[in-house]
Amino acid sequence: MSEPISPFTSTSGKRVTCMEMLQLILDGQVTSEQREYFKAHMDNCMPCFKSYQVDMAIKQLVKDRCCGEDAPGELILQIRAQINQKKA
Amino acid sequence: MELEEGPRQSYNNREKEEVFNNEFLPHINSMYNFGYRLTLDRDDAKDLVQDTYFKAFRFIESFQKGTNAKAWLFRILKNSFINDYRKKTKEPTKVDYQEVESYYNSEDVDRQITPDLRVDALKDMIGDEISNALNALDVDFRTVIILCDLEGFKYEEMAKILDIPIGTVRSRLHRARQLLKEKLSHYAKSMGYKNTEP
Repeated sequence: MSEPISPFTSTSGKRVTCMEMLQLILDGQVTSEQREYFKAHMDNCMPCFKSYQVDMAIKQLVKDRCCGEDAPGELILQIRAQINQKKA
Repeated sequence: MELEEGPRQSYNNREKEEVFNNEFLPHINSMYNFGYRLTLDRDDAKDLVQDTYFKAFRFIESFQKGTNAKAWLFRILKNSFINDYRKKTKEPTKVDYQEVESYYNSEDVDRQITPDLRVDALKDMIGDEISNALNALDVDFRTVIILCDLEGFKYEEMAKILDIPIGTVRSRLHRARQLLKEKLSHYAKSMGYKNTEP
């Protein structure tokens, strides 16, 4: 079965590559039509399918593991003190 | 001064406090983490965040209530990092961004789409592997991953925060992710995962 016409268009008129589609999908910067198109595209494109799985897993890991610790409690007090000093 | 853009607002003292408390301070943890990821030092991160909030208060009338405070604060912090901190500490980046962009726009780019990492290897990275791999990237690559993947900024917001075109945001993000993947691949190998592609 052939893929439907691509709703991805490049501003320069250049062919939109798998990588460009993948990046937009990964970052949620697509329309529902583009999302559906990409889902169908992945059925026929093994590199896209594999990359999508890995890239999504890395993105989720970054989100889960790199949010770090909260700002130290005294930081807000120091900020306020600096602002009040300037006001005075 | 780069913060003075858009129509100037007029706030009384009570309104200034309200904007500061309700729109700026809720982002302090994200700001601190951003500062830490840029400097890789907790004390420097504190200084950077303190300086950012001080500037934000000083230029509060450049900020329109109810608009994107988080992006505005991130932009101030990034500029403080470049103008005040980076100059004092290290020489500027040696990454050739022209090359990054040319590659992104070339036909070669799809050849690298197949990852040499497996999802099950990533699932076993339960320690600091991801964080360390991210910290090991050049600061400009680290920055785009933090803004996009951690903080959820859209390309357009990132372009404004970083003062670069959207096309550059996308090419830099692509390269940053490739480099992160390479580092994670090394970890996967050291964990005993043979490479990945048959």
